Amino acid sequence: MMIEPIDLRQPRHGTPPKLQVEQLSKSFGSSSGSVQALAPFDLSVEAGDFLCVVGPSGCGKTTLLNIVAGFESPTSGSVYVDGKPVTGPGADRGVVFQQGALFNWMTILDNVAFGPRSTGFSQSVARQKAMELLELVGLSAFAKKYPYQLSGGMQQRVGIARALANNPQMLLMDEPFAALDQQTRELLQEEIRSIWQRTNKTILWITHSIEEALLLATHIIVMTARPGRTKASFVSPFARSSDPHVASSMEFAAAKRTIFQLLRGEAKQAQQMEEVP
Amino acid sequence: MTAATHKLAELDDVTVQHILGRRDRRLTFLTFAAILGVWTAVTGSGLWEPLIRPMFLPSPVAVAETFWQLLQTGYQGRSLAHHVAVSLYRFATAFLICILVGVPVGLLMGTSRRIRAVVEPPIQAIRPIPKLALLPLFLIWFGIGNLSKIIVIAAPVFPLIAISSMQAVRSVSAKKIQAAQSLGASRFTIFRRILLPASLPGIFTGIRVSISIGVTMLVGAELTATSDGIAWMALTAAEYLMTNVVLVAVLIMALLGYGLDRLFLLIETSIVHWTGKD
Repeated sequence: MMIEPIDLRQPRHGTPPKLQVEQLSKSFGSSSGSVQALAPFDLSVEAGDFLCVVGPSGCGKTTLLNIVAGFESPTSGSVYVDGKPVTGPGADRGVVFQQGALFNWMTILDNVAFGPRSTGFSQSVARQKAMELLELVGLSAFAKKYPYQLSGGMQQRVGIARALANNPQMLLMDEPFAALDQQTRELLQEEIRSIWQRTNKTILWITHSIEEALLLATHIIVMTARPGRTKASFVSPFARSSDPHVASSMEFAAAKRTIFQLLRGEAKQAQQMEEVP
Repeated sequence: MTAATHKLAELDDVTVQHILGRRDRRLTFLTFAAILGVWTAVTGSGLWEPLIRPMFLPSPVAVAETFWQLLQTGYQGRSLAHHVAVSLYRFATAFLICILVGVPVGLLMGTSRRIRAVVEPPIQAIRPIPKLALLPLFLIWFGIGNLSKIIVIAAPVFPLIAISSMQAVRSVSAKKIQAAQSLGASRFTIFRRILLPASLPGIFTGIRVSISIGVTMLVGAELTATSDGIAWMALTAAEYLMTNVVLVAVLIMALLGYGLDRLFLLIETSIVHWTGKD
Protein backbone atom coordinates (compact mmCIF):
# COMPACT_ATOMS: atom_id res chain seq x y z
CA MET A 1 0.00 0.00 0.00
CA MET A 2 1.56 3.26 -1.14
CA ILE A 3 0.43 6.57 -2.47
CA GLU A 4 1.03 6.76 -6.21
CA PRO A 5 1.44 9.89 -8.33
CA ILE A 6 -1.48 10.46 -10.66
CA ASP A 7 -2.49 13.16 -13.10
CA LEU A 8 -5.75 14.68 -11.88
CA ARG A 9 -5.97 17.42 -14.48
CA GLN A 10 -7.78 15.42 -17.13
CA PRO A 11 -10.81 13.12 -16.82
CA ARG A 12 -9.66 9.58 -16.12
CA HIS A 13 -12.69 7.77 -17.52
CA GLY A 14 -14.19 8.31 -20.94
CA THR A 15 -17.32 9.94 -19.50
CA PRO A 16 -17.55 13.55 -18.28
CA PRO A 17 -16.28 13.74 -14.71
CA LYS A 18 -18.38 14.79 -11.73
CA LEU A 19 -16.35 17.98 -11.36
CA GLN A 20 -14.16 19.56 -13.97
CA VAL A 21 -12.10 22.66 -13.27
CA GLU A 22 -10.53 24.23 -16.36
CA GLN A 23 -7.79 26.86 -16.38
CA LEU A 24 -9.26 28.40 -13.28
CA SER A 25 -7.58 31.52 -11.93
CA LYS A 26 -8.56 34.08 -9.38
CA SER A 27 -7.07 37.46 -8.53
CA PHE A 28 -8.20 39.73 -5.76
CA GLY A 29 -7.90 43.41 -6.49
CA SER A 30 -6.96 45.86 -3.80
CA SER A 31 -5.77 49.46 -3.70
CA SER A 32 -2.15 48.31 -3.50
CA GLY A 33 -2.47 46.14 -6.60
CA SER A 34 -3.99 42.78 -7.27
CA VAL A 35 -3.01 39.50 -5.63
CA GLN A 36 -3.26 36.31 -7.58
CA ALA A 37 -4.73 33.64 -5.34
CA LEU A 38 -5.06 30.85 -7.88
CA ALA A 39 -2.82 30.27 -10.86
CA PRO A 40 -4.51 28.68 -13.86
CA PHE A 41 -5.63 25.48 -12.25
CA ASP A 42 -6.98 22.26 -13.76
CA LEU A 43 -8.72 19.51 -11.84
CA SER A 44 -10.90 16.57 -12.62
CA VAL A 45 -12.86 14.70 -9.95
CA GLU A 46 -14.74 11.51 -10.78
CA ALA A 47 -17.99 10.51 -9.11
CA GLY A 48 -17.35 8.82 -5.79
CA ASP A 49 -13.86 10.30 -5.39
CA PHE A 50 -12.85 11.66 -2.02
CA LEU A 51 -10.42 14.41 -2.95
CA CYS A 52 -8.41 16.17 -0.29
CA VAL A 53 -6.62 19.41 -1.11
CA VAL A 54 -3.70 20.19 1.16
CA GLY A 55 -1.53 23.27 0.91
CA PRO A 56 0.16 26.02 2.88
CA SER A 57 -2.07 28.71 4.33
CA GLY A 58 -3.06 31.37 1.86
CA CYS A 59 -2.49 29.08 -1.14
CA GLY A 60 -6.00 29.50 -2.46
CA LYS A 61 -7.55 26.21 -1.27
CA THR A 62 -10.56 27.98 0.14
CA THR A 63 -10.81 30.19 -2.95
CA LEU A 64 -10.96 27.02 -5.05
CA LEU A 65 -13.76 25.64 -2.90
CA ASN A 66 -15.66 28.93 -2.90
CA ILE A 67 -15.56 29.06 -6.68
CA VAL A 68 -16.73 25.44 -7.00
CA ALA A 69 -19.50 26.23 -4.51
CA GLY A 70 -20.46 29.26 -6.59
CA PHE A 71 -19.84 31.81 -3.81
CA GLU A 72 -17.12 33.55 -5.81
CA SER A 73 -16.69 33.89 -9.53
CA PRO A 74 -13.35 33.08 -11.16
CA THR A 75 -11.19 35.70 -12.85
CA SER A 76 -10.76 33.32 -15.76
CA GLY A 77 -11.49 29.69 -16.52
CA SER A 78 -14.57 27.68 -15.69
CA VAL A 79 -16.01 25.01 -13.44
CA TYR A 80 -18.35 22.24 -14.60
CA VAL A 81 -20.43 19.94 -12.45
CA ASP A 82 -21.85 16.98 -14.39
CA GLY A 83 -20.82 18.80 -17.56
CA LYS A 84 -22.83 21.92 -16.70
CA PRO A 85 -21.08 25.22 -15.94
CA VAL A 86 -21.34 26.51 -12.39
CA THR A 87 -22.91 29.97 -12.30
CA GLY A 88 -23.78 30.27 -8.61
CA PRO A 89 -24.50 28.34 -5.43
CA GLY A 90 -26.84 25.42 -5.79
CA ALA A 91 -28.47 22.61 -3.85
CA ASP A 92 -26.55 20.03 -5.93
CA ARG A 93 -23.40 20.92 -3.97
CA GLY A 94 -23.64 20.62 -0.19
CA VAL A 95 -21.20 22.84 1.71
CA VAL A 96 -19.86 22.25 5.21
CA PHE A 97 -18.08 25.23 6.75
CA GLN A 98 -15.39 25.35 9.39
CA GLN A 99 -17.49 26.96 12.09
CA GLY A 100 -20.21 29.48 12.78
CA ALA A 101 -22.41 28.79 9.77
CA LEU A 102 -25.32 27.25 11.66
CA PHE A 103 -28.49 29.29 12.02
CA ASN A 104 -28.50 30.18 15.74
CA TRP A 105 -32.16 31.20 15.74
CA MET A 106 -33.38 27.81 14.56
CA THR A 107 -33.49 24.52 16.39
CA ILE A 108 -31.12 21.79 15.26
CA LEU A 109 -34.04 20.12 13.52
CA ASP A 110 -34.97 23.26 11.59
CA ASN A 111 -31.33 23.88 10.67
CA VAL A 112 -31.20 20.48 8.99
CA ALA A 113 -34.71 20.85 7.56
CA PHE A 114 -33.78 24.23 6.01
CA GLY A 115 -32.47 22.67 2.77
CA PRO A 116 -35.48 20.44 2.00
CA ARG A 117 -37.80 23.27 3.05
CA SER A 118 -36.04 25.67 0.65
CA THR A 119 -36.13 23.20 -2.23
CA GLY A 120 -39.89 22.80 -2.10
CA PHE A 121 -40.74 20.16 0.48
CA SER A 122 -43.51 20.74 3.01
CA GLN A 123 -42.61 21.50 6.60
CA SER A 124 -43.53 18.00 7.81
CA VAL A 125 -41.64 16.15 5.04
CA ALA A 126 -38.62 18.41 5.51
CA ARG A 127 -38.61 17.78 9.26
CA GLN A 128 -38.96 14.06 8.71
CA LYS A 129 -35.93 14.06 6.39
CA ALA A 130 -34.04 16.15 8.92
CA MET A 131 -34.86 13.71 11.69
CA GLU A 132 -33.48 10.81 9.65
CA LEU A 133 -30.24 12.70 9.09
CA LEU A 134 -29.97 13.64 12.75
CA GLU A 135 -30.24 9.94 13.50
CA LEU A 136 -27.48 9.27 10.97
CA VAL A 137 -25.13 11.64 12.83
CA GLY A 138 -26.38 10.49 16.25
CA LEU A 139 -28.05 13.73 17.30
CA SER A 140 -31.76 12.87 17.19
CA ALA A 141 -31.99 13.44 20.95
CA PHE A 142 -30.92 17.07 20.40
CA ALA A 143 -33.44 17.95 17.68
CA LYS A 144 -35.17 20.57 19.80
CA LYS A 145 -31.97 22.22 21.04
CA TYR A 146 -30.35 25.31 19.58
CA PRO A 147 -26.83 25.32 18.08
CA TYR A 148 -25.33 27.28 20.98
CA GLN A 149 -26.45 24.55 23.37
CA LEU A 150 -24.22 22.00 21.59
CA SER A 151 -20.48 21.31 21.72
CA GLY A 152 -18.24 22.22 18.78
CA GLY A 153 -18.11 18.61 17.57
CA MET A 154 -21.88 18.26 17.72
CA GLN A 155 -22.29 21.54 15.83
CA GLN A 156 -20.10 20.21 13.02
CA ARG A 157 -22.23 17.06 12.91
CA VAL A 158 -25.29 19.27 12.50
CA GLY A 159 -23.45 21.07 9.70
CA ILE A 160 -22.78 17.75 7.98
CA ALA A 161 -26.39 16.58 8.42
CA ARG A 162 -27.64 19.90 7.06
CA ALA A 163 -25.41 19.64 3.99
CA LEU A 164 -26.64 16.07 3.40
CA ALA A 165 -30.31 16.97 3.74
CA ASN A 166 -30.77 17.91 0.08
CA ASN A 167 -29.07 14.65 -0.86
CA PRO A 168 -26.45 16.42 -2.99
CA GLN A 169 -24.15 14.18 -5.01
CA MET A 170 -21.21 16.37 -4.12
CA LEU A 171 -20.03 17.66 -0.76
CA LEU A 172 -17.65 20.59 -0.38
CA MET A 173 -15.96 20.72 2.98
CA ASP A 174 -13.75 23.63 4.03
CA GLU A 175 -11.57 22.41 6.90
CA PRO A 176 -14.68 21.28 8.75
CA PHE A 177 -12.78 19.76 11.67
CA ALA A 178 -9.97 22.30 12.01
CA ALA A 179 -11.41 23.92 15.13
CA LEU A 180 -12.10 20.66 16.98
CA ASP A 181 -9.97 18.86 19.53
CA GLN A 182 -8.03 15.74 18.52
CA GLN A 183 -10.42 13.12 19.94
CA THR A 184 -13.53 14.72 18.50
CA ARG A 185 -11.80 15.13 15.18
CA GLU A 186 -10.84 11.45 15.02
CA LEU A 187 -14.38 10.35 15.84
CA LEU A 188 -15.85 12.62 13.19
CA GLN A 189 -13.28 11.50 10.63
CA GLU A 190 -14.47 7.93 11.17
CA GLU A 191 -18.05 9.07 10.82
CA ILE A 192 -17.48 10.98 7.61
CA ARG A 193 -15.60 7.99 6.23
CA SER A 194 -18.51 5.68 6.90
CA ILE A 195 -21.01 8.19 5.48
CA TRP A 196 -18.90 8.47 2.34
CA GLN A 197 -18.58 4.69 2.03
CA ARG A 198 -22.33 4.17 2.45
CA THR A 199 -23.54 7.01 0.23
CA ASN A 200 -20.77 7.07 -2.39
CA LYS A 201 -20.81 10.89 -2.52
CA THR A 202 -18.13 12.86 -4.32
CA ILE A 203 -16.26 14.90 -1.75
CA LEU A 204 -13.96 17.88 -2.14
CA TRP A 205 -12.24 18.35 1.19
CA ILE A 206 -9.93 21.22 2.10
CA THR A 207 -7.52 20.56 4.95
CA HIS A 208 -4.11 21.47 6.22
CA SER A 209 -3.74 18.16 8.03
CA ILE A 210 -1.72 15.61 6.03
CA GLU A 211 -2.89 12.83 8.32
CA GLU A 212 -6.53 13.73 7.76
CA ALA A 213 -5.98 13.74 4.01
CA LEU A 214 -4.32 10.31 4.02
CA LEU A 215 -6.97 8.85 6.29
CA LEU A 216 -9.96 10.06 4.31
CA ALA A 217 -9.01 10.69 0.72
CA THR A 218 -8.86 8.49 -2.33
CA HIS A 219 -7.04 11.31 -4.08
CA ILE A 220 -4.79 14.03 -2.68
CA ILE A 221 -3.65 17.26 -4.26
CA VAL A 222 -0.73 19.16 -2.78
CA MET A 223 -0.88 22.82 -3.69
CA THR A 224 1.95 25.31 -4.06
CA ALA A 225 2.23 28.59 -2.20
CA ARG A 226 0.36 31.55 -3.66
CA PRO A 227 -0.62 31.67 -6.47
CA GLY A 228 -1.94 28.16 -5.87
CA ARG A 229 -1.36 25.49 -8.46
CA THR A 230 -0.91 21.74 -8.27
CA LYS A 231 2.47 20.77 -6.91
CA ALA A 232 1.77 17.04 -6.86
CA SER A 233 -1.24 14.75 -6.90
CA PHE A 234 -1.62 11.22 -5.61
CA VAL A 235 -4.03 8.35 -5.45
CA SER A 236 -4.17 7.10 -1.87
CA PRO A 237 -5.15 3.60 -0.74
CA PHE A 238 -5.67 4.17 2.98
CA ALA A 239 -9.26 5.45 2.90
CA ARG A 240 -10.52 2.13 1.54
CA SER A 241 -8.53 0.10 4.02
CA SER A 242 -10.50 -1.95 6.52
CA ASP A 243 -7.63 -1.90 9.02
CA PRO A 244 -8.63 0.35 11.93
CA HIS A 245 -4.96 0.89 12.78
CA VAL A 246 -3.95 1.86 9.28
CA ALA A 247 -2.72 5.23 10.53
CA SER A 248 0.03 3.56 12.55
CA SER A 249 1.33 1.46 9.67
CA MET A 250 4.78 1.92 8.12
CA GLU A 251 3.26 2.71 4.73
CA PHE A 252 1.11 5.44 6.22
CA ALA A 253 4.13 7.00 7.88
CA ALA A 254 6.08 6.86 4.61
CA ALA A 255 3.23 8.53 2.72
CA LYS A 256 2.98 11.18 5.39
CA ARG A 257 6.67 11.90 5.05
CA THR A 258 6.42 12.19 1.28
CA ILE A 259 3.66 14.78 1.47
CA PHE A 260 5.23 16.55 4.42
CA GLN A 261 8.41 17.14 2.46
CA LEU A 262 6.47 18.49 -0.49
CA LEU A 263 4.53 20.85 1.78
CA ARG A 264 7.48 22.05 3.83
CA GLY A 265 9.11 23.97 1.03
CA GLU A 266 5.81 25.56 0.07
CA ALA A 267 4.98 26.49 3.64
CA LYS A 268 8.35 28.21 4.00
CA GLN A 269 7.76 30.13 0.81
CA ALA A 270 4.27 31.10 1.97
CA GLN A 271 5.72 32.37 5.23
CA GLN A 272 8.27 34.54 3.41
CA MET A 273 5.48 36.03 1.30
CA GLU A 274 3.64 36.97 4.45
CA GLU A 275 6.72 38.58 5.95
CA VAL A 276 7.47 40.65 2.83
CA PRO A 277 4.21 42.28 1.92
CA MET B 1 -11.69 28.46 48.27
CA THR B 2 -14.09 29.91 50.78
CA ALA B 3 -17.05 28.00 52.14
CA ALA B 4 -19.41 30.08 50.04
CA THR B 5 -17.69 29.46 46.71
CA HIS B 6 -17.34 25.82 47.68
CA LYS B 7 -21.07 25.69 48.06
CA LEU B 8 -21.52 27.36 44.68
CA ALA B 9 -19.34 24.76 43.01
CA GLU B 10 -21.74 22.01 43.99
CA LEU B 11 -24.66 23.69 42.29
CA ASP B 12 -25.57 23.54 38.63
CA ASP B 13 -25.04 26.51 36.31
CA VAL B 14 -28.62 27.76 36.31
CA THR B 15 -28.80 27.88 40.08
CA VAL B 16 -25.43 29.62 40.30
CA GLN B 17 -26.57 32.22 37.77
CA HIS B 18 -29.71 32.70 39.81
CA ILE B 19 -27.82 33.24 43.06
CA LEU B 20 -25.31 35.59 41.43
CA GLY B 21 -28.17 37.48 39.81
CA ARG B 22 -29.79 37.91 43.23
CA ARG B 23 -26.51 39.24 44.64
CA ASP B 24 -26.22 41.71 41.76
CA ARG B 25 -29.75 42.91 42.38
CA ARG B 26 -28.99 43.37 46.07
CA LEU B 27 -26.02 45.59 45.10
CA THR B 28 -28.20 47.61 42.73
CA PHE B 29 -30.76 48.07 45.48
CA LEU B 30 -28.04 49.23 47.87
CA THR B 31 -26.87 51.85 45.35
CA PHE B 32 -30.33 53.37 45.19
CA ALA B 33 -30.68 53.18 48.97
CA ALA B 34 -27.38 55.06 49.33
CA ILE B 35 -28.50 57.80 46.92
CA LEU B 36 -31.76 58.15 48.83
CA GLY B 37 -29.80 58.23 52.10
CA VAL B 38 -27.53 61.06 50.97
CA TRP B 39 -30.51 62.95 49.57
CA THR B 40 -32.33 62.63 52.89
CA ALA B 41 -29.25 63.68 54.84
CA VAL B 42 -28.52 66.87 52.91
CA THR B 43 -32.15 67.99 52.79
CA GLY B 44 -32.94 67.22 56.41
CA SER B 45 -36.40 65.81 55.65
CA GLY B 46 -37.85 68.00 58.38
CA LEU B 47 -35.76 66.27 61.06
CA TRP B 48 -32.82 68.65 61.05
CA GLU B 49 -31.68 71.88 59.44
CA PRO B 50 -31.20 71.21 55.70
CA LEU B 51 -27.76 71.70 54.13
CA ILE B 52 -29.38 72.60 50.83
CA ARG B 53 -32.44 74.85 50.84
CA PRO B 54 -35.70 73.21 49.69
CA MET B 55 -35.99 75.71 46.86
CA PHE B 56 -32.91 74.13 45.30
CA LEU B 57 -33.43 70.54 46.42
CA PRO B 58 -36.57 69.49 48.29
CA SER B 59 -36.33 66.45 50.54
CA PRO B 60 -37.51 63.02 49.32
CA VAL B 61 -40.41 63.27 51.79
CA ALA B 62 -41.48 66.63 50.32
CA VAL B 63 -41.24 65.22 46.80
CA ALA B 64 -43.37 62.22 47.81
CA GLU B 65 -45.92 64.56 49.37
CA THR B 66 -46.00 66.70 46.23
CA PHE B 67 -46.49 63.56 44.16
CA TRP B 68 -49.41 62.53 46.35
CA GLN B 69 -50.90 66.00 46.13
CA LEU B 70 -50.52 66.13 42.33
CA LEU B 71 -52.21 62.74 42.11
CA GLN B 72 -55.24 64.09 43.92
CA THR B 73 -55.54 67.65 42.63
CA GLY B 74 -53.66 67.47 39.34
CA TYR B 75 -51.54 70.24 37.85
CA GLN B 76 -52.90 73.44 36.27
CA GLY B 77 -56.40 72.13 35.93
CA ARG B 78 -55.53 68.69 34.54
CA SER B 79 -54.89 65.43 36.33
CA LEU B 80 -51.38 64.02 36.64
CA ALA B 81 -52.56 60.95 34.72
CA HIS B 82 -53.59 63.24 31.86
CA HIS B 83 -50.15 64.84 31.67
CA VAL B 84 -48.44 61.47 31.72
CA ALA B 85 -50.86 60.03 29.15
CA VAL B 86 -50.42 62.96 26.76
CA SER B 87 -46.63 62.68 26.89
CA LEU B 88 -46.78 58.92 26.55
CA TYR B 89 -49.07 59.31 23.54
CA ARG B 90 -46.67 61.72 21.80
CA PHE B 91 -43.68 59.57 22.62
CA ALA B 92 -45.27 56.24 21.73
CA THR B 93 -46.76 57.44 18.44
CA ALA B 94 -43.43 58.88 17.33
CA PHE B 95 -41.63 55.73 18.38
CA LEU B 96 -44.10 53.37 16.77
CA ILE B 97 -43.86 55.24 13.46
CA CYS B 98 -40.07 55.15 13.69
CA ILE B 99 -40.05 51.40 14.28
CA LEU B 100 -42.73 50.60 11.70
CA VAL B 101 -41.05 52.69 8.99
CA GLY B 102 -37.42 52.86 10.12
CA VAL B 103 -36.83 49.13 10.56
CA PRO B 104 -38.14 48.15 7.08
CA VAL B 105 -36.28 51.06 5.47
CA GLY B 106 -33.09 49.99 7.26
CA LEU B 107 -33.59 46.37 6.26
CA LEU B 108 -34.07 47.35 2.62
CA MET B 109 -31.00 49.59 2.73
CA GLY B 110 -29.00 46.71 4.16
CA THR B 111 -30.22 44.26 1.51
CA SER B 112 -30.17 46.32 -1.66
CA ARG B 113 -27.26 48.51 -2.69
CA ARG B 114 -29.49 50.51 -5.02
CA ILE B 115 -32.02 51.36 -2.33
CA ARG B 116 -29.15 52.24 -0.07
CA ALA B 117 -27.67 54.56 -2.69
CA VAL B 118 -30.99 56.39 -2.90
CA VAL B 119 -32.09 56.51 0.73
CA GLU B 120 -28.95 56.62 2.83
CA PRO B 121 -27.34 59.92 1.71
CA PRO B 122 -30.37 62.09 2.61
CA ILE B 123 -30.72 60.33 5.97
CA GLN B 124 -27.01 60.82 6.71
CA ALA B 125 -27.19 64.43 5.58
CA ILE B 126 -30.11 65.21 7.90
CA ARG B 127 -28.64 63.31 10.85
CA PRO B 128 -26.18 65.95 12.14
CA ILE B 129 -28.79 68.74 12.17
CA PRO B 130 -29.90 69.41 15.78
CA LYS B 131 -33.57 68.52 15.54
CA LEU B 132 -34.59 70.89 18.31
CA ALA B 133 -33.50 73.74 16.05
CA LEU B 134 -36.12 72.59 13.59
CA LEU B 135 -38.94 72.84 16.13
CA PRO B 136 -39.95 76.40 15.06
CA LEU B 137 -40.05 75.18 11.47
CA PHE B 138 -42.13 72.15 12.45
CA LEU B 139 -44.52 74.45 14.29
CA ILE B 140 -45.01 76.49 11.12
CA TRP B 141 -45.36 73.42 8.93
CA PHE B 142 -47.38 71.09 11.12
CA GLY B 143 -49.18 73.48 13.47
CA ILE B 144 -49.14 73.72 17.22
CA GLY B 145 -51.00 70.45 17.74
CA ASN B 146 -49.59 67.05 18.57
CA LEU B 147 -48.30 66.44 15.05
CA SER B 148 -45.38 68.86 15.30
CA LYS B 149 -44.44 67.33 18.66
CA ILE B 150 -44.57 63.79 17.34
CA ILE B 151 -42.40 64.82 14.38
CA VAL B 152 -39.77 66.53 16.51
CA ILE B 153 -39.47 63.38 18.63
CA ALA B 154 -39.37 61.13 15.57
CA ALA B 155 -36.82 63.29 13.73
CA PRO B 156 -33.67 62.08 15.54
CA VAL B 157 -35.06 58.63 16.38
CA PHE B 158 -35.91 57.61 12.81
CA PRO B 159 -32.41 57.85 11.29
CA LEU B 160 -30.95 56.10 14.31
CA ILE B 161 -33.30 53.14 13.99
CA ALA B 162 -33.00 53.00 10.20
CA ILE B 163 -29.19 53.16 10.19
CA SER B 164 -28.79 50.64 12.99
CA SER B 165 -31.18 48.25 11.22
CA MET B 166 -29.15 48.63 8.06
CA GLN B 167 -25.92 47.93 9.94
CA ALA B 168 -27.54 44.90 11.55
CA VAL B 169 -28.35 43.39 8.16
CA ARG B 170 -24.96 44.22 6.75
CA SER B 171 -23.15 42.54 9.62
CA VAL B 172 -24.87 39.18 9.17
CA SER B 173 -22.05 36.71 8.60
CA ALA B 174 -21.42 35.93 4.93
CA LYS B 175 -21.02 32.26 5.85
CA LYS B 176 -24.62 32.01 7.02
CA ILE B 177 -25.89 33.56 3.80
CA GLN B 178 -23.64 31.30 1.73
CA ALA B 179 -24.84 28.27 3.68
CA ALA B 180 -28.45 29.19 2.90
CA GLN B 181 -27.63 29.78 -0.77
CA SER B 182 -25.96 26.40 -1.08
CA LEU B 183 -29.02 24.80 0.51
CA GLY B 184 -31.12 26.10 -2.35
CA ALA B 185 -32.80 29.04 -0.62
CA SER B 186 -34.32 31.77 -2.78
CA ARG B 187 -33.54 35.44 -2.19
CA PHE B 188 -36.84 35.87 -0.43
CA THR B 189 -36.26 32.86 1.83
CA ILE B 190 -32.80 34.18 2.68
CA PHE B 191 -34.29 37.53 3.60
CA ARG B 192 -37.11 36.08 5.70
CA ARG B 193 -35.36 33.18 7.39
CA ILE B 194 -31.72 34.37 7.58
CA LEU B 195 -31.25 38.14 7.27
CA LEU B 196 -34.31 39.13 9.25
CA PRO B 197 -33.80 36.94 12.33
CA ALA B 198 -30.02 37.36 12.27
CA SER B 199 -30.34 41.15 12.36
CA LEU B 200 -32.92 41.24 15.17
CA PRO B 201 -30.32 41.66 17.96
CA GLY B 202 -28.85 44.71 16.23
CA ILE B 203 -32.30 46.16 15.58
CA PHE B 204 -33.22 45.83 19.24
CA THR B 205 -29.99 47.52 20.29
CA GLY B 206 -30.81 50.42 17.98
CA ILE B 207 -34.30 50.75 19.43
CA ARG B 208 -33.09 50.65 23.00
CA VAL B 209 -30.39 53.27 22.38
CA SER B 210 -32.96 55.60 20.82
CA ILE B 211 -35.35 55.41 23.78
CA SER B 212 -33.24 57.84 25.82
CA ILE B 213 -32.99 60.18 22.84
CA GLY B 214 -36.76 59.99 22.41
CA VAL B 215 -37.33 60.97 26.06
CA THR B 216 -34.88 63.87 25.65
CA MET B 217 -36.77 65.06 22.61
CA LEU B 218 -40.03 64.86 24.56
CA VAL B 219 -38.76 67.70 26.72
CA GLY B 220 -37.92 69.69 23.60
CA ALA B 221 -41.30 68.95 22.07
CA GLU B 222 -43.13 70.27 25.11
CA LEU B 223 -41.03 73.43 25.39
CA THR B 224 -43.58 75.60 23.64
CA ALA B 225 -47.05 75.62 22.15
CA THR B 226 -48.64 73.23 24.60
CA SER B 227 -50.48 73.30 27.91
CA ASP B 228 -50.09 69.72 28.99
CA GLY B 229 -47.55 66.92 29.13
CA ILE B 230 -45.15 65.78 31.79
CA ALA B 231 -42.15 67.72 30.41
CA TRP B 232 -44.29 70.86 30.08
CA MET B 233 -45.20 70.36 33.73
CA ALA B 234 -41.52 70.39 34.71
CA LEU B 235 -40.76 73.41 32.53
CA THR B 236 -43.64 75.56 33.81
CA ALA B 237 -43.12 74.53 37.42
CA ALA B 238 -39.50 75.68 37.12
CA GLU B 239 -40.68 79.16 36.16
CA TYR B 240 -42.41 79.42 39.55
CA LEU B 241 -39.49 77.72 41.34
CA MET B 242 -41.71 74.79 42.35
CA THR B 243 -38.69 72.54 42.53
CA ASN B 244 -40.61 69.66 44.08
CA VAL B 245 -43.03 69.56 41.12
CA VAL B 246 -40.06 69.68 38.75
CA LEU B 247 -38.52 66.73 40.56
CA VAL B 248 -41.73 64.69 40.44
CA ALA B 249 -41.95 65.27 36.67
CA VAL B 250 -38.28 64.45 36.13
CA LEU B 251 -38.59 61.26 38.15
CA ILE B 252 -41.66 60.23 36.17
CA MET B 253 -39.74 60.80 32.90
CA ALA B 254 -36.77 58.83 34.23
CA LEU B 255 -39.10 56.03 35.20
CA LEU B 256 -40.73 56.16 31.77
CA GLY B 257 -37.37 55.83 30.00
CA TYR B 258 -36.18 53.12 32.34
CA GLY B 259 -39.45 51.20 32.10
CA LEU B 260 -39.44 51.30 28.31
CA ASP B 261 -35.82 50.16 28.21
CA ARG B 262 -36.63 47.22 30.49
CA LEU B 263 -39.69 46.40 28.42
CA PHE B 264 -37.68 46.22 25.21
CA LEU B 265 -34.93 44.26 26.96
CA LEU B 266 -37.58 41.77 28.06
CA ILE B 267 -38.97 41.49 24.53
CA GLU B 268 -35.43 41.21 23.20
CA THR B 269 -34.31 38.42 25.49
CA SER B 270 -37.48 36.43 24.88
CA ILE B 271 -37.26 36.74 21.09
CA VAL B 272 -33.52 36.74 20.43
CA HIS B 273 -32.43 34.20 23.03
CA TRP B 274 -29.48 33.17 20.84
CA THR B 275 -27.78 36.56 20.76
CA GLY B 276 -24.09 36.65 21.65
CA LYS B 277 -23.88 32.86 21.73
CA ASP B 278 -22.34 32.26 18.33
